[in-house]
Amino acid sequence: MILLRRYGTLLALALIVLVFTIASPNAFGSMSNLVNITQQMALLAIVAIGATLVMVLGEFDLSVSAVVSWAGIAAAALFAAGIAVPIVMIVVLVSAVAMGAISGFLVARYKVPSFIATLAFGTVIGGLTFWVSNGATLFSGIPAGFRDLGRGTLAGVPVPTLWLIGVAVVFWLLLDQTEFGRRLYAIGGNREAACLVGLPVRRDMVVAFALCAALAGLAGLLLTARLGSAHPTGGGGYLLQAYAAVFLGMTAFREGEPSVPGTLVGAAIIAVVSNGLTILGVPSFLQDLLTGAIILAAVLVRNFGRDEAAA
Amino acid sequence: MTSTSFLALGGLVKHFGATKALDSADLALSAGSVHALVGENGAGKSTLIKTLSGLYQPDAGTIRLDGADIAIDGPRAAEALGFRFIHQELNLVPHFDAVGNAWIGRHHPRRGPFIDRRAMRAKVAEVAARIAPDLPLDRPAARLTPGQRQMAEIVRALMEPCRLVVMDEPTSSLSEGEAERLHAIVRQLSAEGCAVLFISHRLDEVLDLCDSYTVLRNGRTVGFGAVADTSRAGLVAMMSGAGSGNAATPHPPAAPSTSPDGRGEKPVLATDLAFGPGDSRFTFQARPGEIVGLYGLVGSGRSSLLKTIWGATPGRGLIAINGQVPRQGPAGRIKAGVAYVPEDRRREGLANSLSIERNLSLAHLSDFRAFASLPVPARSKIRQFAKATGARLRLVAAGPDRSPATLSGGNQQKLLFGRWLGRPIRVLLVDEPTRGVDVGAKTEIHGEMRRIAADGAAILMATSDIEELLTLSTRVLVLHAGRLVAELDGPSLTRAAVVAAAFGHAPDEQWLPSERSA
Repeated sequence: MILLRRYGTLLALALIVLVFTIASPNAFGSMSNLVNITQQMALLAIVAIGATLVMVLGEFDLSVSAVVSWAGIAAAALFAAGIAVPIVMIVVLVSAVAMGAISGFLVARYKVPSFIATLAFGTVIGGLTFWVSNGATLFSGIPAGFRDLGRGTLAGVPVPTLWLIGVAVVFWLLLDQTEFGRRLYAIGGNREAACLVGLPVRRDMVVAFALCAALAGLAGLLLTARLGSAHPTGGGGYLLQAYAAVFLGMTAFREGEPSVPGTLVGAAIIAVVSNGLTILGVPSFLQDLLTGAIILAAVLVRNFGRDEAAA
Repeated sequence: MTSTSFLALGGLVKHFGATKALDSADLALSAGSVHALVGENGAGKSTLIKTLSGLYQPDAGTIRLDGADIAIDGPRAAEALGFRFIHQELNLVPHFDAVGNAWIGRHHPRRGPFIDRRAMRAKVAEVAARIAPDLPLDRPAARLTPGQRQMAEIVRALMEPCRLVVMDEPTSSLSEGEAERLHAIVRQLSAEGCAVLFISHRLDEVLDLCDSYTVLRNGRTVGFGAVADTSRAGLVAMMSGAGSGNAATPHPPAAPSTSPDGRGEKPVLATDLAFGPGDSRFTFQARPGEIVGLYGLVGSGRSSLLKTIWGATPGRGLIAINGQVPRQGPAGRIKAGVAYVPEDRRREGLANSLSIERNLSLAHLSDFRAFASLPVPARSKIRQFAKATGARLRLVAAGPDRSPATLSGGNQQKLLFGRWLGRPIRVLLVDEPTRGVDVGAKTEIHGEMRRIAADGAAILMATSDIEELLTLSTRVLVLHAGRLVAELDGPSLTRAAVVAAAFGHAPDEQWLPSERSA
């Protein structure tokens, strides 16, 4: 039981991969499909890693999908105006960071519940995105050089996968191996104690929200690069899936805390289930149903284990 | 003791609104001494500590360190002075192990940009080896025992050299063996030259462990000296104020209202609960017309006992209302005629988003139905009840449709009583009837409680206000560390006896005849 509780989520991932491989050894189990899955999960995982940072604080950022859409539209609009790639990327990322910082400031300084602050501010960002795009899909003037940032392969590895690896390594180091990361966990674990020992709680919270939004902005850029177009609700699907990945990840390691490796496992489960079911030709409503059931099961198994440990 | 003291607090005053939490409090500490700070609930101990830790700024008075006046303007400043605090509710991050917790708020050792976990652990292991060699360093705090958590806090406090460690009720949640360990550590700290300010309700412990003491009463220092020169009885007398004016504050009861007609009546509330450590029994009965006081220090279990009787927290054992076992939970109690006024009116009592009259109607919503068979409350019936109740309690409100948040504390408290007045009350459970309430409202609430009792209810009242306890109660039960240790009434009900029992101390043998005298 302890094994199941500690590593149940990892076992579940292994089991799911095994089942799909048996069911469809040639299509699902092929090397190229497995590599393809890492590409499919890349953007989701990048957004989810950002959400992880905020979850470590015990807060939510519900504006991530709005920032993804915003970044995509903002980039496309700037390209349409003929601005160079590096400048566009910098401007878009800075705007995303600013958005995250505002959310974080509202939460840290004015104690607005993060759920509400980011929901409201996310709506504001959504409105801004529609305004800039006039509600239309933008696809003119996106340079091929930019598009290559989100497609193709480098040394045989899909480019989105490389982005994911880079982001995951950097943020794993940041959360797990730096003082900043320790502070975030301390604030999330016991805010009272963090204040009592004089940690810069507000500043750290703002930084965490800003980094979360930066990753959502990066995902938006990569999405536009991959598709060669931007839609004002292009990031809409990422919110729930990202949090599903974080929650699944929280069941994967340690004391049920959010962590980057955990979130990667969570995102992988979601991607594998979706990919495998698609290959098996399962209708999409059944995919949703199964994904939801897996998340519930993972959380339930963990809670059962907890009750027993407490008794 | 002043000659050798390195730290001296003089004439500290601290107001919170109209209440004076500290009113000329003095404290002097010498290096390496173990100093006890004792006093009843609300004597000002916590405020004094929070002033020392920089969380509160005193309104008047001085803090002198090594002969120079200083101001402590925050937790960081206190830390820099070498003061360490081990608070009653421990401040550990639950999923960090002892190593991680010890380093929170400090500059972590690093290798390049990254923290050096090995160096972190080595440093903590070094500190732990000195004082708590058996503390598991790699287990998350959530899975440590209370004693081990305490050790982890102490290890954290000692990571850097310190001059003073303040421990607030460190042994209240520890087993006997764990407390022994802690005492050994305290002695070791003192031998190393670090002063320890030890706050404890266990007088045995104080007499055993500490060399000097300060007694606070009503925010004022009323006694200090060497522990060797005093006794338990002496400390109790100072804390309760009984020693000073030789007056043992004879109890001025409003005439035991049990006697005239209540004697022969059957108990309306009877309990036989397994409660507190080691499942000691809580057995008592109350008759109509009685006001039974329930006294005990913070953490003695008063509130949880009331909540158990109320059915809000599950308990084991028997509760009978009017000779019958009520159905489960508060709903069952309400049906049986029990009413409950909780301790924290803001958190547990009032729904601020509802109007005053709606709040009044909450306990018996079904009484206000427009038609008996439809669960739809009639506004007019609620308003009528609100009007009558408001008049009875002299509720001062801008209007029955305003939020209870607009009321003064006293009127909010009246509202909580008024909620139950729609039906006959058989048993009223009250937790802190008048906390934070002004004097006028207090008198009115006391009058209302007497009236409810006179109407045939038994009242069980928990209070930490000893004046209130002695004014209202016809009988007093005292809890100490979760156990019922004394039942006082008639001539045995004195202030000194209540305080002594609450501190786990028997001043004379009249109510515990079997205890051997030392």
